[in-house]
Amino acid sequence: MIRLPVICYSFLVARYSNEYQETSNEQPATSNETMTQVTDDIIIRTVARILIPFIQLYALYVIMHGHHSPGGGFQGGVILGASFILYLITHGLEEAKIRMSEVKAGLFSSFGLLIYSGIGLLCLILGSNYLDYGKLSAILRVIPAQARSLGILGVEIGVGIAVMAVMFSIFFDISTGGILPEDEEGGQEGR
Amino acid sequence: MSNFFIYLGMGLFSLVFLCLYRGVFGPGVLNRIAAISAIGTKTLVILLLMGFIYDRVEMFIDISMVYALLNFIGTITAAKYLEIKREV
Repeated sequence: MIRLPVICYSFLVARYSNEYQETSNEQPATSNETMTQVTDDIIIRTVARILIPFIQLYALYVIMHGHHSPGGGFQGGVILGASFILYLITHGLEEAKIRMSEVKAGLFSSFGLLIYSGIGLLCLILGSNYLDYGKLSAILRVIPAQARSLGILGVEIGVGIAVMAVMFSIFFDISTGGILPEDEEGGQEGR
Repeated sequence: MSNFFIYLGMGLFSLVFLCLYRGVFGPGVLNRIAAISAIGTKTLVILLLMGFIYDRVEMFIDISMVYALLNFIGTITAAKYLEIKREV
C-alpha cells in the first residue's frame, strides 16, 4: 500500500529536480506524443495481447467469488478496468476505441448503477428494506439464505461493471487531456 | 515451521526499507521505478508468507496475484510515461 505515495513522490521529484534539466532541454517532447499512442515495441504488445484475456478471466473470478473469498465487486472491477487500460496503453487510442470508447464507458457505468439500484429497489417493492435480499426468494423461488447469496452476487456484478467503466473513463480522460481526436476534426463520429 | 516464516517475513520487511531508500533518494527515475517494482515483488512474497502463517494460502494467493498484476501494469505505465517525456 506504500507504492502509490512513492510513485507520486518519485514523479514529483523527477519533474522538479534540477539534475536532469540539461538533458530535458535537448529533446523536448513533441505535442502529438501522448499516453495513448501505439507503442512500437512488439514484445510489449504481444505480452499484453496474450495476458489480457487471463486478466479479464481472473477479474470475473474475483467478482464471482466475492462473497466467500477476498475481493468483490470493486476489486474485480478494478482488475477488469486495468485490463482495458493495459490495452489502451499498448494498442493505442484508435484500436482501443473499437473495444471500449468513452460513450460505451458512460453507458456501462450507468448500467452497473442500474443493476445495483434496481436490485435494491426490487427488495423495496417486495416489502422489505433497501438491499435486503431475503425477500427476493419470492421471485427466485429459492430459500431466503440462497436468495441472499444470489442477491449480493447480482449487486457485486453491477458494482464491478460500474467500477470498470469509471476506471477506464478516468484514465481515458486524464491520458487524452479530455480532447479526443475526432473532436478536433469536427466531431463527425462517436456521439 | 511458522516461526521460520515469521523470521523470513521480517527479513524481507527490513529489505523493503533499503528499496524504499533507493526509491526516494535514488539518482534517476529508472532507479526509482526498479526500486518500486522490487518493493512490489517483496510485498507479494510477504503476502504469501502470511498465507502460510495463517494456514490460508488459497486465500492469500488471490491477493498476491492481483498485486503482481497491478505491479506489472504500473511498471509498464511508468515506462511509457518516461518514453513520452524523454527525461531519463
